[in-house]
Amino acid sequence: MSALADHHSTRAAPARKRPSWRRLPAAPISLAAGAAAWELIGQLAGMSFFPPLSTVLARLADMATSGLIVTSLADSLVNLILGFAISLAAGLVAGVAMGRYRKVEAALGVYVYALLTAPSLVFAPIFFSLLGEGRGSIVAVVVMYAMFVIIINTASAIQSVPVHLVEMARSYGAGERQVLLRVMLPAAAPMIMAGVRLGVGRAVTGMINGEMFIAVVGLGRIVTQAGGRFDSAGVLAVLLVIIAVALGAVALVQAVDRRITRWVPRTTRGNQ
Amino acid sequence: MGSDDYGKERALIEIRGLGKSFVGQDNETVEALRDVNLDVGENEFLTVLGPSGCGKTTLLKTIAGLIPWNDGDIRIDGTPVRGPGPDRSMVFQNFALLPWATVLDNVAFGLRMRGVGRAEREERARSLIAMVGLSGFETKRPGELSGGMQQRVGLARALAMRPRVLLMDEPFGAVDEQTRRLLQEELLSIWEEHRMTVVFITHSMEEAVLLGDRVVLMSARPGRISEIVPVPLERPRSSDVGALERSGQYVEITAYLWDRLRDMHEEHRPSKVAG
Ligand SMILES: Nc1ncnc2c1ncn2[C@@H]1O[C@H](COP(=O)(O)OP(=O)(O)OP(=O)(O)O)[C@@H](O)[C@H]1O
Ligand SMILES: [Mg+2]
Repeated sequence: MSALADHHSTRAAPARKRPSWRRLPAAPISLAAGAAAWELIGQLAGMSFFPPLSTVLARLADMATSGLIVTSLADSLVNLILGFAISLAAGLVAGVAMGRYRKVEAALGVYVYALLTAPSLVFAPIFFSLLGEGRGSIVAVVVMYAMFVIIINTASAIQSVPVHLVEMARSYGAGERQVLLRVMLPAAAPMIMAGVRLGVGRAVTGMINGEMFIAVVGLGRIVTQAGGRFDSAGVLAVLLVIIAVALGAVALVQAVDRRITRWVPRTTRGNQ
Repeated sequence: MGSDDYGKERALIEIRGLGKSFVGQDNETVEALRDVNLDVGENEFLTVLGPSGCGKTTLLKTIAGLIPWNDGDIRIDGTPVRGPGPDRSMVFQNFALLPWATVLDNVAFGLRMRGVGRAEREERARSLIAMVGLSGFETKRPGELSGGMQQRVGLARALAMRPRVLLMDEPFGAVDEQTRRLLQEELLSIWEEHRMTVVFITHSMEEAVLLGDRVVLMSARPGRISEIVPVPLERPRSSDVGALERSGQYVEITAYLWDRLRDMHEEHRPSKVAG
């Protein structure tokens, strides 16, 4: 950090001549460029199925003021949070068990990999007939989408905990429980969190798919209804909301991740 | 082998007929230890020297109760070893510190595993941190420390248990020469003040002689004790290590150890290819 600051202060004069775009923040610029391109193409094309950004935003404002978005969003978020919480709890338990005990891995491994790679939506009809049209089915779909990637990451995270740390703990009298809680879980945390990040993104996908194809509630319902009316601006407006939900969820997980894994050296991460 | 028992006091560690084989990945058996007999006296500083792969680490881990063995018997103060115990602490070559935990939590780790309450274990940890010269670093994490400082943490963690037996597996093998000398001197002065039984594994003849009351020489394939060499150098040794190293006795014992080790390496040199 200080090295970077020095670098800037001592070379302030030549830096002025360098292109100033180097110092601009990358993410907002990229977003602005995307928005401008969307608006421009939408205006030029003039096709109803690809409305410009301004039309979509106006539509979004309408939906927001009518209260439609808010109630649907709340509905969707409950589905997401329930499904993700179950995925997280079950995924961590199953993943730790598979990573630690060879027998469990042998017993569960096939199913986990099969269900990870299977298109999760094919189970929608089964959930529908088992759990009905309610929230249960959608939560089950969310779990199908999110849980397995968490299990697999947790299992390999546990397996790659350095043996010498476990041995050290045992030499100081740690039992199995303490080895798991005080050594393996913290050591595996960075890799587990990578799986959780993937899982939360998949949970959002599962939520929308569940809402569109099973119960037709929440944001998924608005998408389906708008799609039925060929209301492209409506579909895209909800899409913006869904993207915001996904980004928010990922940002939340990342914040937790940063807290848990502050000790990991950041040397491998680029900073340009 | 039986004749060199440490006769002065009753042995604290008694090892009889110890044998240990590993089954390797291709199902072949590696005989890591065969018929090891060893007595270590109460408050003795024993160093173990031998070529790589002769079973030094294996011997230490069996005493620690970390790995099971096939034949023989290990007793600490007459009680058979069945697993790790609070009477034995281990110091590891690669430090084995928890990278996410602070120096304080690392030093207090063993106490925590043994159920010592927070206030007491932190107090004990702090005094040990002071003893190894790391006061002021309590809240740092291992990644922020040099190798020598990390091993001080490892040593403090072991000493915090107030063990009767300190088991050290090449503890200074991964630090630079200058740091190693400092750590050796510090270990000596700590041990001179707080006597305990130490089994110290090393690759270095100089280290073995500088620290040990006796040097156990091990040979490889199968791993066994080939000789036990007494080191009659005066104690305390920490006050003037330089003078000690120039003394005739020190030079003589080190040279003798190297002669014996060289013989072992010759025996096991791959037979010369024709030509
Ligand atoms: N877990 C294991 N599985 C299979 N073989 C092992 C295992 N641990 C040790 N061995 C073998 O047992 C022998 C003794 O190993 P050990 O680690 O005790 O030697 P060492 O004297 O400590 O060597 P070094 O000086 O290199 O540390 C070696 O041949 C090693 O390959
Ligand atoms: Mg070794």
